[in-house]
Amino acid sequence: MSRNESIIRVEHLTASYDDTVILEDISFEVRQGEVFAILGGSGCGKSTLLRHMIGLREPDQGHVWIDGEDMIGADEPQKTRILGKIGVTFQGGALFGSMTLLENVRLPLEEYTALPKAAMDLVALMKLELVGLREAHHRMPSELSGGMQKRAAIARAMVLDPAILFLDEPSAGLDPITSAELDRLMLQLARQLSVTFVIVTHELPSVYAVADRVILLDKERRGIAATGAPAQLRDDKTNRAAWQFFHRQIGDQSMHIKEGRIGNGKPSFRTK
Amino acid sequence: MEALEKQDTATLSVQSQDGERLLLTLTGPLDFHNSARLWDKAIGALSHHSFGQIVIDAEKIRSCDGGGLALLFEIQLWAREHGKSMELHGLKKEYADLLKNFTPEAFLAHRTARHKSIPFPEEIGRATVEFWQDFQEQVGFIGQAFVALVTSILRPWRIRWKDVFWVAEHAGANAVGIVILLGFLFGLIITFSSALPLRQFGVEVYVSDLAALALVRVLGPFITAIILAGRSGSAFAAEIGTMKINNEIDALETMGLDPVRFLVVPRLLATTVVTPLLAILANLAGIIGSAVVMLSLGFTLRTFITHVESAISPPDVYSGLVKCFVFGLLVSGVGCLRGLQTETGASAVGISTTRAVVSGIVLVVVAEGVFAVLYHFLEI
Repeated sequence: MSRNESIIRVEHLTASYDDTVILEDISFEVRQGEVFAILGGSGCGKSTLLRHMIGLREPDQGHVWIDGEDMIGADEPQKTRILGKIGVTFQGGALFGSMTLLENVRLPLEEYTALPKAAMDLVALMKLELVGLREAHHRMPSELSGGMQKRAAIARAMVLDPAILFLDEPSAGLDPITSAELDRLMLQLARQLSVTFVIVTHELPSVYAVADRVILLDKERRGIAATGAPAQLRDDKTNRAAWQFFHRQIGDQSMHIKEGRIGNGKPSFRTK
Repeated sequence: MEALEKQDTATLSVQSQDGERLLLTLTGPLDFHNSARLWDKAIGALSHHSFGQIVIDAEKIRSCDGGGLALLFEIQLWAREHGKSMELHGLKKEYADLLKNFTPEAFLAHRTARHKSIPFPEEIGRATVEFWQDFQEQVGFIGQAFVALVTSILRPWRIRWKDVFWVAEHAGANAVGIVILLGFLFGLIITFSSALPLRQFGVEVYVSDLAALALVRVLGPFITAIILAGRSGSAFAAEIGTMKINNEIDALETMGLDPVRFLVVPRLLATTVVTPLLAILANLAGIIGSAVVMLSLGFTLRTFITHVESAISPPDVYSGLVKCFVFGLLVSGVGCLRGLQTETGASAVGISTTRAVVSGIVLVVVAEGVFAVLYHFLEI
């Protein structure tokens, strides 16, 4: 599969919680080997979209094609095969607290390969080396910082060499240096292993550093407000939602700044 | 040439060249499946030949994943460990670049380090220190809780009465059903079990005396305390343990609020008050259960009541209820303590809950024994 071919295709996806529609009829593609970011403010449905893409939730309508196979409505064997192609890390890392880092990373190998135990240890240690945690392999997750936990979670997610890695808020709660290290790691893995990354984030520095393309979700539209390269969206003055998001503007600030007010036209507090 | 594997997928052939060089030729896709198949054979071949240099011909490796890279790296590690030189030819650039991320020295150091285990005497020493520290914590907690309780009673306006009533409802009112059910069943069982042997001697009428006395003095308070340990002691440990994991205890401390006064005192107060009330219900239910059996054995209700009245004196009832205060304190205190001792991690709350129930039951049994001896000497 070449870099320009799509490895993920989301088609006309509609998702809701009870009676509240979160996402309505959204479609996009992710290309092989790219770092693709799903952006948007809090509550716009980023994590909901991710959960549908990794098969944790069934949408009301639509399809999610992963490497040519439809995740929605797939039977168990098919779903297992699709899940074998993806790795996921969650916001908090989701490492198993009762296992050491090595045991956490080794777990998928124990379940899905017939490697001898020493070989599993070596593979797990090599993955931990890639994320800079080989020397901490014997530690429990509770003994690690947030950044280390996220790196360990990435090691676990990629231990079976999946074609696609989904990362939910990888930079959330990390200091800028650790966040930059994580960005460097993602780029290295994307380039060296040709892994396709789908990251859910609202951290702009991280987006500029790693993302090849992004989609921006908008809460009011319940869908995609903009698609493209991050720099392209940042400079696009015609797209108001993208402009506000990338320039960190609040509501209709650009409209009301001349009147000395910010917010949705309602008098709130005066600027100097 | 000695072919170890000849399949359509990945193969490994081993060729010894003049006892100087060992040529390993790998072909096909070297993925997890094939690496698992070839692993032992490849490493075994290294041990079974004598040579000075390993040469790996990797030109025909079509693709390579983490498993394949690990196999190549393992051969590299083996060579380094056994003082042999190694050459790797023809591996595709992307895989060779990946392999460069790993330095054999660091991994070999890990291998020598991981075999170190804790000696048995050291394990005993660690366990002893942990036991001593736990004992110290318990003594410290008893003191802290006692001071907080006395201070709160002296200044009742500082007690969080809303929490006290909430705990009283959950630990007390909500437990009424199960306490009555178990009390009734216990009364039923002990009366029935005792009546059959005593019937042989024609004194089964005294079973009602025996059952009533056993229920009021021992079984009623005991059943209540065990239910309390299972329902409320575990709940206290889980609630406070979860609060500790979520840093809520730290938040209380940073606000200058004493977690013991804030969380433990309401639970101690509420449980101490509701335990005797629950025990009274357990006693009554047990006596009703006993009456049901006696009526079914052909005795009249009047006979049963007369025997129960003559068997139980007020000191019997009071002695049972006094125990309930202590049981309530012990069960809720140890539940709160285990909650406060919760460590980090997903299993920590579960461990605390288990420890709360086990410690609660052990303490109740020990206290029951102490009361039995004490009442004997006090002739109660």
